[in-house]
Amino acid sequence: MADTTIDVRQAQFDDTDDIDRTEVRSYWQLARQRFFHHRLAVAGAITLVSLIVLSLVVPAIAGDTLRVSASRSFAPPEIFNDQGDMTLALLGYSRTGYNIFGVLMAATGTSLMIGFAAVLIIVFIGVMVGSVAGFSGGWVDNVLMRVVDIALALPGLFIIIAFVAFWGASIWSIIIAIGITGWTLAARLVRAEFLSLREADYVQAAKALGASPRRIITRHMLPPAFAPIIVAASLGVADSVVLEAALSFLGFGISADQASLGTLLNVAFEYLNREPYLVLFPSIVLILIVLAANFLGDGMRDALDPRQRVEER
Amino acid sequence: MLTYIIRRIILSIPILFGVALISFLLVYLAPGDPLGRFLTPNVRPEVLERLREIYGLDKPLFEQFVGWITHYVQVWDPLAWGISITHRRPVLELIMERAPATLLLMGTALAVTVIVAVPLGMLAAIKQYSVADKVVTTFATIGYAMPSFVLGTYLLYIGAVWTGVFPFRGMTSSLRSAGDPLDIAWHMVLPVASLAIQSIAGWSRYVRATMLEVLHQDYIRTAKAKGLGSNRVNFRHALRNALIPVVTLLGLSLPSLIAGAAITEAIFSWPGLGSLGLQAVGERDYPVVMAFVLLGGIAVVLGNLIADILYGVVDPRIKY
Repeated sequence: MADTTIDVRQAQFDDTDDIDRTEVRSYWQLARQRFFHHRLAVAGAITLVSLIVLSLVVPAIAGDTLRVSASRSFAPPEIFNDQGDMTLALLGYSRTGYNIFGVLMAATGTSLMIGFAAVLIIVFIGVMVGSVAGFSGGWVDNVLMRVVDIALALPGLFIIIAFVAFWGASIWSIIIAIGITGWTLAARLVRAEFLSLREADYVQAAKALGASPRRIITRHMLPPAFAPIIVAASLGVADSVVLEAALSFLGFGISADQASLGTLLNVAFEYLNREPYLVLFPSIVLILIVLAANFLGDGMRDALDPRQRVEER
Repeated sequence: MLTYIIRRIILSIPILFGVALISFLLVYLAPGDPLGRFLTPNVRPEVLERLREIYGLDKPLFEQFVGWITHYVQVWDPLAWGISITHRRPVLELIMERAPATLLLMGTALAVTVIVAVPLGMLAAIKQYSVADKVVTTFATIGYAMPSFVLGTYLLYIGAVWTGVFPFRGMTSSLRSAGDPLDIAWHMVLPVASLAIQSIAGWSRYVRATMLEVLHQDYIRTAKAKGLGSNRVNFRHALRNALIPVVTLLGLSLPSLIAGAAITEAIFSWPGLGSLGLQAVGERDYPVVMAFVLLGGIAVVLGNLIADILYGVVDPRIKY
């Protein structure tokens, strides 16, 4: 009887010993661990990174991918051309004689560049509007939210097309047009986070200690709002890339010498009955970008903010 | 209810005002002279001055905006929304002429979407983690990631170019067959499929999510516990509540119904509002562009209002 009592106590002691020995992990270590458990998110990250690397490396190696030569019309796939130069023409050549894979990767680069640059604007405006609205509350919040309502009521794609058509199509006008129309989601997510953080005890404490609004926003309220910002940004990349592609597909985008995925689709549409496979490659890359960015966003949200984890959406 | 609707309508006036302002600025700030098409050496400067006066272009920005918007609200006047520069006809008349084609296309697509997506989403939710569920979710994810112009191009290639079963473009085959319902239906197959597949992807995901949420509630367990058959539980108890959020989606679909899916209309050369708007942008037909932006705004505001009212009608827990 006495023995068992001792055993139990010994066992309890072992238990606490076990707990003490578990390593303490920081927020970022936990976040990283959660992220790597999300297989689709990891796949999305790998896809995006490989596309970025390929779109930087391939055009640099393959040289002027848009240069067409009639002699190379329908030439088969190759890595080196007859002169021994590296062309990386893994998908062969088109009827007009351009390097299909080289052009595809150059266009992917343009699309991704526009997507990421537009997201910078989206996040910047979204964080500004959302944090000011959420931090101030009251009439400031009211006015800013009415502005968001107006922005949401605008026919987005149509405004972007009109802006680019009137101001002249260039990479920059497209980035600005997408950026200044797409910030509403980011603003609303940041605002919602700020509204709840505003009443949090630690923020009230910082305020009581005399911290300036700027310090409270940048040091105490923006870091916890990081998760929704990341989600908005990754969805924003997908949306921006698709918007730009739609614009170029409809023929309002940038000129053919700076082809994006949408430009390639626009050109391919013209040759639909002769070279239908030309539609296939840019559209696959486009779908890959959208899927990868969405999975990445899902994974980052689950990793950075386990409270927001949605079951089976 | 009525006071709620009236209050919502009053609250939406500032939003429409904002949309009108942006639509005005978009055109006003655009580089280039609005009278650019008259700037030929043959036109005397006095004539240009006179034109500037007629169009009110010599007045300050604010005055122009006020004049424009007071004219704009008088919709009973056929000339209220100005005259299209390229078509040389009143904008309101053009919109009325193009609206039926878009409404027909989008309405059919919406009907197909509801008929297909609700059962699909339900099936996926009731048989969660089954093969059927995985098929539906995979389809929904791919459909969601596939931009409408990619899907439209694929369908156009498969349906019209490769197999040659369906017509390539437009709404009617020839002038003689104009207005023949069968002919129009034949032309509608590809664009409707392209629009519906995309929205089925979104809707079935949504129906599945709301259905799952309802299925996990206590009253469903109670219903099962008292021995009701699974059909009765799923259809009578669960589906009716799961459809409440779905009904609001109907209202939120209104903007796309009115403003139209411009891209799909462009691919299939559908003579609707969307292609009218795109053409207007390309040709800098400013009155039509402004009308189109405002029309989009009205559609969004109206859609939200309808969604909220429908929500109150189908969900007795909500009181206005």
